[in-house]
Amino acid sequence: MTKVANKSGKSGDMTAYSEVALRNNAAIVEYCRTAMAALSGCTAGVLGLSGLYGFGFYVLAVIGLWILLLMRAGSKWNRYFLNRKSLLTNNFIGGLCTYVLFWTFFYTMVHVY
Amino acid sequence: MGSTGFHKVVFIIGICFLVHAAVSAAQRKLTEQEFTSLSLDIVVQGILSLIACMYAIIYMAGDLKEIRATEELENKSWETLRNIPSYYIFSHRGRTLSPAYDPTSVGKSLIDE
Repeated sequence: MTKVANKSGKSGDMTAYSEVALRNNAAIVEYCRTAMAALSGCTAGVLGLSGLYGFGFYVLAVIGLWILLLMRAGSKWNRYFLNRKSLLTNNFIGGLCTYVLFWTFFYTMVHVY
Repeated sequence: MGSTGFHKVVFIIGICFLVHAAVSAAQRKLTEQEFTSLSLDIVVQGILSLIACMYAIIYMAGDLKEIRATEELENKSWETLRNIPSYYIFSHRGRTLSPAYDPTSVGKSLIDE
């Protein structure tokens, strides 16, 4: 059964959103974000980035993932996400932890030993 | 829009290229005397394989759902929402209070016994 969450739109009128669909989309985005953090961490380690270059690479990867997600949703992103900005900034720090883990691991594997 | 075999193939190829870039980088590190920076081809290979993997993962994560509840409900009326088949009553005892009730018409055997 569909649960309904009411949120007022910008124009003031009420729009009903399906909570199940919202959760489903959030879970998909979370999955993509974790996978992206791990993969970009691997790439950064392989490329031997160090210091601020690595963090800059993470920012670039997050923006790249955002662009890819919006490309997938197409021009009707409104039908799948509430807003685009939270799609970019959600769980930035949590992804960064995963990224640093893989980054240091692969940097050590490839460039140190 | 769903996950296809094509995206899985792209993902596997991307992972293979990433591993290949890592091995190339490690070997280059081992063989060269003065190691300053990675050659351009390894950098390009790493970044391209990262982009391929991210592209594939976004499609492998699952289908995005339409978040507007009205999309599912627009073909239904509010009567459909509160329709609960478990609470259907087919022989309510209050029917005996009706002046038109004829005890002989239904359940005659019950009254006789």
